[in-house]
Amino acid sequence: MIRSLVWMIGAILLAGIVHIVAVIGVPRFAVVDPWREIGAIANDEVFTRLPRAGPGGKTLPGLDPAMTHSVCRFSLDRGPMRLRAEVADAYWSLSLYDRSGLWVWGVDNRAAEQKPIDILVATDVQVAQLRETLPDELEDVVIVDWPGREGFAIYKLLVPTKSQEAETEQILATAKCGVAQFR
Amino acid sequence: MRFLVELLATLVIALALGLASAWYMVDAPRIGLGVGAWQAVPAISSATADPYTRARIARTGEIALGAGEGLVFFADGDDRGTAFDGACDYSVSGETPTARLWTLAAVDRDGRLPAPATGRISLTSREILRDLDGRFTVTVSASARQGNWLPVEPKGAFRLVLRLYDTPLALSPGNGMTMPQIERGACR
Repeated sequence: MIRSLVWMIGAILLAGIVHIVAVIGVPRFAVVDPWREIGAIANDEVFTRLPRAGPGGKTLPGLDPAMTHSVCRFSLDRGPMRLRAEVADAYWSLSLYDRSGLWVWGVDNRAAEQKPIDILVATDVQVAQLRETLPDELEDVVIVDWPGREGFAIYKLLVPTKSQEAETEQILATAKCGVAQFR
Repeated sequence: MRFLVELLATLVIALALGLASAWYMVDAPRIGLGVGAWQAVPAISSATADPYTRARIARTGEIALGAGEGLVFFADGDDRGTAFDGACDYSVSGETPTARLWTLAAVDRDGRLPAPATGRISLTSREILRDLDGRFTVTVSASARQGNWLPVEPKGAFRLVLRLYDTPLALSPGNGMTMPQIERGACR
């Protein structure tokens, strides 16, 4: 009796260890993390329009079918990234995700009112360098201090009605993403 | 000999228990707020994400709403706890928590959207018809219905996904939350 109880406690403790190792191990060995999924359907460092979520069509999982999305995967190795886009009257949001697909920072149409999006994503070191010699043109730019070196941005716009689809797609197409160039 | 058998049995049980519980926790959001038939997906942010959320995102590749962006609820059955079936009609009625925009869509258990003939796969708060007092009724059905109609596939289980954008709830979930009721209507 005592003997089997000891075995049982041992099994539960060991199960706990297996549980923890498995959960922590998944991100390390995952085959479909968002980073790789985006790499498979879009080029790096340029905004790529994703097909509308719907039956069929290769897009990313978890997107809202009522919205139209554009994605830009970036790395800060060659300098800070500058993201710019025109905005719409209806709902829009720009979200930044880290290498593992977790949300880090975002802006939507209430926070930004109706000003066009203009943000600069930079690492700690790059932010420090920028602060020293801030180019004039960056005075109105929002600077996002980025954890790590890689990430991706998703710009999404609500398609209010079928008839406004073309107009909304045009605004989506204004989204630009690239290594910041200063004069 | 007896020792070896017991050791082997313990190892097998430990492995099975550990992997099964890990799978259960990672497969779908389990920690979060539930209201009626609705289950909230905890807000996700890289600063606060728990290991289960990290594992789920890494495994599905899904793009989640950010903590400041909004809140997602899903329902797999009606208010009585009966699982959704495409053969039945459901009414989703009442009101949602305060949000600047919400969207409602139906997906299958793997997150895929249906392919209805009309092409409509989601409803938004901007286009929905409401009563004079601001309440709404959405009919979820495989065949066309009057008023607010959300089509689903005529067979099998499905999941309703309600996304609330720019809601104060994202910051303090649970405070006086009213979610729409889900009732089953006629079945074919």
